[in-house]
Amino acid sequence: MFDTLIAGLLRGNVYALGAVGISLVFGVMNVVNFAQFSFFGLGAMLAWFFVTQLGLSFWVALPLVIVICAALGLIINISVVRPLARFVPLAAMLSTYAVSQILDNVSQLAFTAQFRVFPRVLPTSNFHLGNMSFGTSDLVMLGVTAVVMVVMSLFLKYGKVGQAIRATAQDQEAALQMGIPVGMVQHVSFVIASALGGLAGVFIALYVGVANPASGLDTGLTAFVAATLGGLGSLTGAVLGGFVLGVLEAFGIHFFGDTAREIIVFVILIGVLIVRPGGLLGKVPLLSAEPLTGTFLGRGRPFRIPRWVWPAAFVVGGIVIPLVGGDYVLTTGTQVLIYAIIAAGFTVTAGQAGVLALGQAGPIAIGAYASALLTLHLHLSFWGALPLSGLIAAVIASILSAPIWGVKGHYISIATLGIGAVIVAIIQLVLPQGIYGIPMPSFAGHLLSTPRDYYLIDFGVLVVTLLLMWRIRSSHLGRVISSVGSDEIAALASGVRVRNYKALAFAISAFFAGVGGSLLAHQYTYIDTTIFTTLMSLLVVTIVIMGGISLPYGAVVGSIILIGAMELLRFTPELRIVVYGLVLILVVRFRPGGILVRNS
Amino acid sequence: MNSILRRAGAVSIAALVAVSLAACGGSSSASSGGSGKKSTVYFGVSSATTGQYAAYGEQFKEAFDLAVEQVNAKGGINGHPVALKYEDSQSDPKQSVTVAQKFVSDQSISLVFGDYSSAASIPASPIYTAGKLVQYGFNNSNPDFTAKGSEYQWSTSITTSDTYKWTADYIKKQGVKSVGVAYLNTSDWGIPAYQAFKKEAEKVGLKITDAEGVLDSSDDYRPSLTKAVAGKPEAFVEIGYGPDAAKIVTQLRAIGYKGQFYGGQDEQSFDGTPDAEGSIIGSEFVETSTDPQVKAFVDAFKKKYPKEKDVTSFEAGAYDALNVAVAAAKAGGTSREGILKGFKEVKDVPSVVYGKITFDPSTRRVASPQLTPVVLKGGKWVPIAG
Repeated sequence: MFDTLIAGLLRGNVYALGAVGISLVFGVMNVVNFAQFSFFGLGAMLAWFFVTQLGLSFWVALPLVIVICAALGLIINISVVRPLARFVPLAAMLSTYAVSQILDNVSQLAFTAQFRVFPRVLPTSNFHLGNMSFGTSDLVMLGVTAVVMVVMSLFLKYGKVGQAIRATAQDQEAALQMGIPVGMVQHVSFVIASALGGLAGVFIALYVGVANPASGLDTGLTAFVAATLGGLGSLTGAVLGGFVLGVLEAFGIHFFGDTAREIIVFVILIGVLIVRPGGLLGKVPLLSAEPLTGTFLGRGRPFRIPRWVWPAAFVVGGIVIPLVGGDYVLTTGTQVLIYAIIAAGFTVTAGQAGVLALGQAGPIAIGAYASALLTLHLHLSFWGALPLSGLIAAVIASILSAPIWGVKGHYISIATLGIGAVIVAIIQLVLPQGIYGIPMPSFAGHLLSTPRDYYLIDFGVLVVTLLLMWRIRSSHLGRVISSVGSDEIAALASGVRVRNYKALAFAISAFFAGVGGSLLAHQYTYIDTTIFTTLMSLLVVTIVIMGGISLPYGAVVGSIILIGAMELLRFTPELRIVVYGLVLILVVRFRPGGILVRNS
Repeated sequence: MNSILRRAGAVSIAALVAVSLAACGGSSSASSGGSGKKSTVYFGVSSATTGQYAAYGEQFKEAFDLAVEQVNAKGGINGHPVALKYEDSQSDPKQSVTVAQKFVSDQSISLVFGDYSSAASIPASPIYTAGKLVQYGFNNSNPDFTAKGSEYQWSTSITTSDTYKWTADYIKKQGVKSVGVAYLNTSDWGIPAYQAFKKEAEKVGLKITDAEGVLDSSDDYRPSLTKAVAGKPEAFVEIGYGPDAAKIVTQLRAIGYKGQFYGGQDEQSFDGTPDAEGSIIGSEFVETSTDPQVKAFVDAFKKKYPKEKDVTSFEAGAYDALNVAVAAAKAGGTSREGILKGFKEVKDVPSVVYGKITFDPSTRRVASPQLTPVVLKGGKWVPIAG
């Protein structure tokens, strides 16, 4: 038991160091910065390169890593984040995701994707406490965390720039009016955060023992959860959150096993957020705006689509493409269509209700597994299983997410990210083996197994989805949900039960996610949980933002671009992801409201 | 506003064009190089060149390229030169199915290697079967890849169940009575492997004091490991890959466990981990083997890639795979049907992994594969004498 406590403190130490940087940049920029995760991996690889390949001493390498990461942070902020953060935090978030893709892949081109043994620049197991050994490295890491926390706290409290950072964090426009150079302040905090990310990456790699360009991601994500747990924007909270999470997680793993790790992490997070919606030490955001409110709804209007476009699109998508498209085009088309269905359904939650849920992989997985089990064990036909699996996804996802709808702002994004991960982790516990031989759909005795068959089924479902979305949006219910997203306080004052409508919107989206999951399962004929990743959730969100957050037909355009581009870019295998990221950034930079939304 | 947009459009199009021109330039010069009089035989490779499994994709590519070079130097397939077409699937089923369709539609492709993981390979299988194209999952150790597949799915990878059945027997033979186990809780690999190990351990009377499922995405296994060794087992078994085994063996020593470690993988980060020294596994491929065939392969590989310090079973497996495909094409013909026929016919194909490869037609895998016990000494796996 004592050993578990020590193990928990050691890992908490790692999370705390990672969480400080995340919390800082979030407090100042109000942007969830995915690029921060890349700095963990990048810092580790740079240190590995300097020490083992160039033979530099660790104490020379460490400042070099910090300087490089800081410089990269500045470039990223100037070129990508800052131009967007002022107007559309959501677009900024999307572009940090693109930046992280680019950073990871450039780092992979430079250092290759191989796992490397990280040099033991400091002793890692020279002390003993009970049965556990720990090393100078752990003490140095603890010291670094403490120094960073204390120096940053003092700097923020007494330093002139520090005070400017706090003022900017409290109210950006007021700060600007008081003559604070907000741009400069954001550069400074972004640079500090990037440097801290690189620093944390080095210590994480030292602790873990091996590193590759992508290895910072998981620890980074947990550090992010720790920062949320402590209260985003609070440095002491970040450190506290790190240690609390580390210790609770260690005990959780002791009792339930490492396989339950993700469930443990997110259950702790959701539990804390239900009791304290602003995290352990964060302020409860009483009137905080949802991340979407007043951004897309107020700042852009969708292009008017001429009437003739609809029948034309129907003819092209439903008749021309299936007739002339080869099997490769049609198979790519099936993936585009399925993600369009999922994303179109998701516009109700993200666009209308204004909740940026990050865990759509959860309901997709429920739909896929439900459909597979219904057809395999209850011998239901595909046509019966398809709507049923949507329904099951909606019911289960609603029950699991019921407690979180009181949580506000960015916290709800993180909470839904948790719900998605927990759903997939639970499926993995209940059905650890993949499911084989999921039957292909058949109609009137004919097996529908060619790419053209799948394409036509998916196209039909998409048309129905868009019609349903159009009906919902023009109904009374749709307007009420939109009111929640446009101005939550006004809706609440008008007697709208905001929580319930958010939950309902989420259930509607989960239904379509489930339907999409079912379609995937019957096409792949094999599923296991590694298919339903956080990256899948992010892809859904990206598609929706790309097309215009509250436009169901925008989701179709977003899906064509994001999934089609991955295929179109096959001519440059090495640079595929880098170019993909660049295209994403360019689109977001010049169309921050989405492709089909006019800038204003 | 409009002018900005126009400029942005122009810039992005220019960038795309520039990149595509560069890419086309590269590929056209590569493909025009080896054209002889007879038509080229193309094999497709569906693997991860980016994303989380890219490390394996890189290793496969190095070995494939070496093998292609050697085959063509010796006159190719009855005079037809061999070339590969690579497609990146990121080992993601969303992309492996489109890659599969792309290969099936490309009539010049007569066989496809891949994918890396079962989660990407199995969803693509129905497409290859419908296209009557052999899907050679040379790395798919999941028995269900072939068992649940059709006559178009073939593999030369030893199955996880064979490997861990052997491991349980071997540990028992060393006089070990009890083991603690950590296994990857992954549906396509770790869980079936552990089940095979457990079944055999029960059969031969090897006691498992505790088995902990772990995730390869975890970085800190201490809480699981303290529990796994609480029953004081004589030895420890890790059922997983190299990078996670490197973390686990390091942390196992950090919590003070001193018993023999059975596990790990012939992979760079594990081979270089100080605490991994002395660990024992069963291996199909032994880099330090004195077999002349293996020596020739290792030497050629290091000559072509002087940066690589080790040659692992991943590279050896891919090298073998290409030679098996070439042997099948020589036996049955270079068309899609011909290669399938060849796979059913080939016997005793020279192999750096197994010595000789003959398929068992009922399982479409290597008939009675043999494992050699090897121990990690000074960063190299060496066979255990006796």
